[in-house]
Amino acid sequence: MPVEIPVEQWPGRVIEETIGANPAEGGTRSRVVKVGGENTLPFLFTDGEMPNLPRIAIEIADRRPTEWSPLLLEAWGDVVDDPAKWAKAAEEAGADLVLLQLSLTRDGGNPTTAADAKALTRAVLQATGLPILVFGPGQVDADNELLVAVAEEAAGERIVLGICEEKNYRTIVAAAMANGHLVNGRTAMDVNLAKQLNILIADMGLPLDRIIMDPTTASLGYGIEYGYSVMERLRLAALQGDKMTQFPMLVTPGFEAWRQKEAKVGEGVPASWGDWRQRAVLWEALTASDLILAGADIVVLRHPETVKRVRTFIERLMAK
Amino acid sequence: MALTGLQIYKLLPQTNCKECGFPTCLAFAMKLAAKQAELSACPYVSEEAKAQLDAAAAPPIRLVSVAGPGHRVEVGNETVIFRHEKTFYHPPGLFLRVKDSWPLEQVKGAAKEAMDYTVIYVGMNLHLDGVAVEAASGDPETFAAAVKAVQEVTDRPLILMASDPAALKAGLTAADGTRPLLYAATAENWQAVAEIAKSANVPVAVRADSLDDLADLTEKVKGAGIQDIVLDPGVRDPAGTLVTLTQLRRLALKKNFRPLGFPIITFPGEGASDVIEEAQLAAEHIAKYAGFIVLDRFAPEMAYALLAWRVNIYTNPQEPIKVQPGIYEINSPTADAPVMITTNFSITYFSVANEVDGSGLPGWLLVADAEGMSVLTAWAAGKFDAEKIAKTVKTTGIEEKITHRKLIIPGAVAVLMGEVEEELPGWQILVGPREAVDLPGYLKLWKSF
Amino acid sequence: MTTTSAPLPPNTSAPLLTVVFRPYEKRVEVPPGTLLSDAARLAGVDVLMPCGGQGRCGRCAVIVESGSVRRRSTQRLSPDDIAAGYALACQTLVESDVVVFVPPQERIERRIKETKRAAKIELPFPYDRHDQPLRKFAVTLEPPSLADQTDDWSRLQRELARRYGLRNLQASLPVLRRLPGALREGDWTVTVVVELDSWDHPEGPPRLIDFLPGERLESLWAVAIDIGTTSNVVWLVDMMRGQVMAQAADYNGQIARGEDVISRIIYASKGNGLQELQELVIDTLNRLIAQVAAEQNIRPDEIYKATVAGNTTMIHLFAGIPPESIRLMPFISVVNHLPTFPAREVGLEINPEGTVDCLPGIASYVGADITAGVLSSGLCDSGDLSLFIDIGTNGEMVLGDCSWLISCACSAGPAFEGAGVVHGMRATAGAIEEVWINPETYEATYKVIGDEPPRGICGSGLISLLAEMFITGVVDKSGNINLDLPTERVRRREHGPEYIVAWADETAIGRDIVITAVDIDNLMRAKAAIYAGFSVLARSVGLSLQDVQRLLIGGAFGQYINVEKAIQIGMLPDMPYDRFHFLGNTSVRGAYYALVSREMRRRLTEVGRMMTYLELSADNTFFDEFNAALFLPHTDLSQFPSVAALMEKEHGR
Repeated sequence: MPVEIPVEQWPGRVIEETIGANPAEGGTRSRVVKVGGENTLPFLFTDGEMPNLPRIAIEIADRRPTEWSPLLLEAWGDVVDDPAKWAKAAEEAGADLVLLQLSLTRDGGNPTTAADAKALTRAVLQATGLPILVFGPGQVDADNELLVAVAEEAAGERIVLGICEEKNYRTIVAAAMANGHLVNGRTAMDVNLAKQLNILIADMGLPLDRIIMDPTTASLGYGIEYGYSVMERLRLAALQGDKMTQFPMLVTPGFEAWRQKEAKVGEGVPASWGDWRQRAVLWEALTASDLILAGADIVVLRHPETVKRVRTFIERLMAK
Repeated sequence: MALTGLQIYKLLPQTNCKECGFPTCLAFAMKLAAKQAELSACPYVSEEAKAQLDAAAAPPIRLVSVAGPGHRVEVGNETVIFRHEKTFYHPPGLFLRVKDSWPLEQVKGAAKEAMDYTVIYVGMNLHLDGVAVEAASGDPETFAAAVKAVQEVTDRPLILMASDPAALKAGLTAADGTRPLLYAATAENWQAVAEIAKSANVPVAVRADSLDDLADLTEKVKGAGIQDIVLDPGVRDPAGTLVTLTQLRRLALKKNFRPLGFPIITFPGEGASDVIEEAQLAAEHIAKYAGFIVLDRFAPEMAYALLAWRVNIYTNPQEPIKVQPGIYEINSPTADAPVMITTNFSITYFSVANEVDGSGLPGWLLVADAEGMSVLTAWAAGKFDAEKIAKTVKTTGIEEKITHRKLIIPGAVAVLMGEVEEELPGWQILVGPREAVDLPGYLKLWKSF
Repeated sequence: MTTTSAPLPPNTSAPLLTVVFRPYEKRVEVPPGTLLSDAARLAGVDVLMPCGGQGRCGRCAVIVESGSVRRRSTQRLSPDDIAAGYALACQTLVESDVVVFVPPQERIERRIKETKRAAKIELPFPYDRHDQPLRKFAVTLEPPSLADQTDDWSRLQRELARRYGLRNLQASLPVLRRLPGALREGDWTVTVVVELDSWDHPEGPPRLIDFLPGERLESLWAVAIDIGTTSNVVWLVDMMRGQVMAQAADYNGQIARGEDVISRIIYASKGNGLQELQELVIDTLNRLIAQVAAEQNIRPDEIYKATVAGNTTMIHLFAGIPPESIRLMPFISVVNHLPTFPAREVGLEINPEGTVDCLPGIASYVGADITAGVLSSGLCDSGDLSLFIDIGTNGEMVLGDCSWLISCACSAGPAFEGAGVVHGMRATAGAIEEVWINPETYEATYKVIGDEPPRGICGSGLISLLAEMFITGVVDKSGNINLDLPTERVRRREHGPEYIVAWADETAIGRDIVITAVDIDNLMRAKAAIYAGFSVLARSVGLSLQDVQRLLIGGAFGQYINVEKAIQIGMLPDMPYDRFHFLGNTSVRGAYYALVSREMRRRLTEVGRMMTYLELSADNTFFDEFNAALFLPHTDLSQFPSVAALMEKEHGR
């Protein structure tokens, strides 16, 4: 019996965006990375195309992240003391992108200054040829101050500035516009809030191909389903032609998974949770894999083993 | 295709007689549309309308059940492609495969380990659903012995896997009194398998390597009198299962294509080389449309992750989202850090927690059980009053964790301040800001209050 | 101890303290720990408490000039305010002898909203004065004689039965006492007022409720009443003609005890709050009744019937029924349709034999005001899909046509009625009712009710202001004030950013009239709740808002809304203006229809029976729609094509 396979062709398409600029484009990157551009739900190649596979960013901290799980510190070794070395190690671990996470304070407790942020950004840019993302500490005033400095220091490199929220988007978008960068707009797991921030950013005149949306997610077991459904809804809206949702989506499963006990700690947890090392990687890998199925275009990861696992899963999903 | 409430209403008597237990015919129609009521509750519906409504109500994906002596699994009857459209109803059964070619002790050991496994997640006891026994030996008696051995260690349902009808029959006899799934009818053996399934009244899986062949086969098996069918479209890798299972779901729901309107069985272990890879693939199948998932590997961490994921994906997104009441520590609070209280509506909780988190300031956040309502709604409904606040303070044990006695209540319920003071002698009650967004500024000044 | 309604604290053994209220120079003695608001009430000083004494609104701020007090809460007061002696009367306890100054602009206004004579009210159906339960009959009796020794009452009954077929007539003792006087004063011609039957006793028996000496058939009076949470309205109706002969309106006297229904329910549950609230609304109604009666030169006791519409809480409070269960899950009212009762049982000052009919409600949050609105708006008369909304604090709405009705209530809050907004006020003289902002200079011009210096901004002014701020870019689409604009009208204060609508020297209050970020937030929430209600209602039955053929807007406030501005902020759906119908107070109109027509009363019951109530707290759909609507004009701009076109034109924004 011939079965007529239902094909869904969508009127909309996610904007294809370029992160990083090579010397010909005014930057110094040896690689640039394209994200987005799909006109189908993830990996449904009978419906449409997905010109760029989901990208993996590795998160590095600007100083030894003592609050991170010992498993992560062990996996990276001494490079965590030096963002430049860490960036290089991340590149070697298979990252497509390097995400520099700035802290509120430096070692010793002094606040991170604009000069610190510039120096850190410069060091990372010099250490790796990959395109980079730089995220502020997540406090409105600090983010405004540090990210403006970062944007100036990295002028022309087409980096991604984050985190841009409804509270402070004006400053960060202005810095991105002035220096040729992209912004990562973050909202709290809600379709409408995500779209609203996109509109606010677009209203300021930032070209649409320089907006990435970060709908926020949660870890497996800790509310991931809200993030998952929000992403599915946003992607469906984009494919249905809603221009203000047609942006690549970035999520941070590494951060989310590793702050949960399941990944973070090996003691004082139920025996039914099984082997810690395998569980930790599994928790981050499943969180990331599930969000990729929901439409993530960039996943930010922490553990090098997870990077391999997620990379393999993506490649297998891309097999036509 | 599903009818809207208004379309159903037009078919009802519109007399608002209330005998169905709903206040109006429209209210009843909306419940019918939401599948939260049965048409039989209406004594006056016309035969003609009944026929129309029944046709519209027939599930596009058949509900299929398997059962052991102590556990039953129902899958199918799904109505949406994306969980946010309504909800996913019947979580896929997670089974572990054992083979009769293994020593019996190994069969038993593997089955027992997996079936005894249990983990507590958000107050629920989660476990796997059953065992798939595969006739790898080629010998019906060996197969029957393996089935018996598995039954000694679990009362959960079985999947009997054999291509030889004789083996299936032997296995079925060994599993007498239960309702296993027979796997699988193929182009070669379907007549014999269907006959066995029909006489035992058990569901049967059909396997073919293309959807065309699969549809042919289900029609044949149906023609042989079998209604409870499960599909194996033969794909095993991540890309193939994602595309094929999506197509099957769409065919059933959007095209109402009856020959393929059945639950699907998958074998992620066959498309993976280790535990993590199998877990990634099984997780894909949980989210994207499997009804039975047969695992080849068992590890507690893998079982925990998949069971939690299954709960997550099958949570009804229409229900108000609650968080667990209790104490939440933000930014490693010390004994002199501020104590705030809010309700357990998740959006409320997240807005408060995120603001405090983002402020970088440490704090204790108490979450009261307000039945998942926001602060003002809960207050209006009497679920977040002075008594509830006092109870939360006393029962969470926050008093042992802190040295001060100051409690910040939401600005929206400033009215409760005096009453809370009375309920909590010795405590100083502070009125916080109305909106979470003002919390960081408030907390900066907290020490001065 | 938080309640302001509680009797004075039991601490009566302590020496009493003296509280003096200036500028009234009224003094009162109270025990230590008494709330200033309680002391004020004892002293006979009215302090406005729109939030019901919850310490939320800041409107009861007074200045403590001397003495010691304890401020339980200082919400909405700045450190400067506190230094200047400001305290919230409802949250401040007396600790010593004190002198308190009540600022003049905060005195409770008693302005009458609708002084102008409204146009003649037309009935959409023919009036039949013979088919009414309330009737007048004039008869002339044979005087008694030695030959005819029948008693007066039997004589009257005999004649009424013979001439009008009235049998089994009942009369109370107080009425009978007046029979001999009336008969003889009219020289054996008498006019009787009879209530033939009532809503819940359609078979009678007929009840004789008054005698008037002589033939007095020129008029027969009754009233239709609407008890709104904010405003009360009385229409005086002549049942001989079926016409409204006088109208009066005033604020509900309960306002000072809470601005929304929840606050009032809570107030009613404490101490003798229920009795107090009942008395307050009855006082208001009696004053209005006296007013309409005076206008027609009649006495209130010549009014023999009242029909009453109002939301469920208001009806409960009017009847003195505890409303507590309305606010508690599962939100059940005590009674949706009250039986007919004598007016004297609630103290309503019409004829003591007169009865009151309260219109039937549907649910706790969809009351008789809505059934009345559905009836009088003509929603259920037509096959056209119509949406009815009563714009007020509770935001009740109904979608449907002649064959089905579905309703919901989405609490919009009191922002559009001027509360919860720093410089909000009701639509009275001195209120800014419309604002225009220059898109180049961001300067504001405005129109004030009564053409006097402004004292605040009313609901329609707030809608207009928000629309202008949005269109000119003073706020972004989330409602955030853009502090980078080159104008002194935007600034940051300790409570956050604000925009100055009127500089202090232009106003009657001597301070800048501003709209703050918090105010904007409240307005955004109010408008989002209303639009989300529309969307959820339509979606619940599988329809789109664009399918709506008529949008029927009730509520007195609704009359003043500028549709264009309301669409610009995304409060009302973007559809051709001719689909909007502003109906004024549909609730009192419904009560009027019920008063004059049996058919209308039957249909009210029918509306109640066919109405389906959608409880919005039952699922997440409302929350989702609410978030979508919490944007200017809406997250989905395609629902507002005319606004999109305007934005295109204005800035290419």
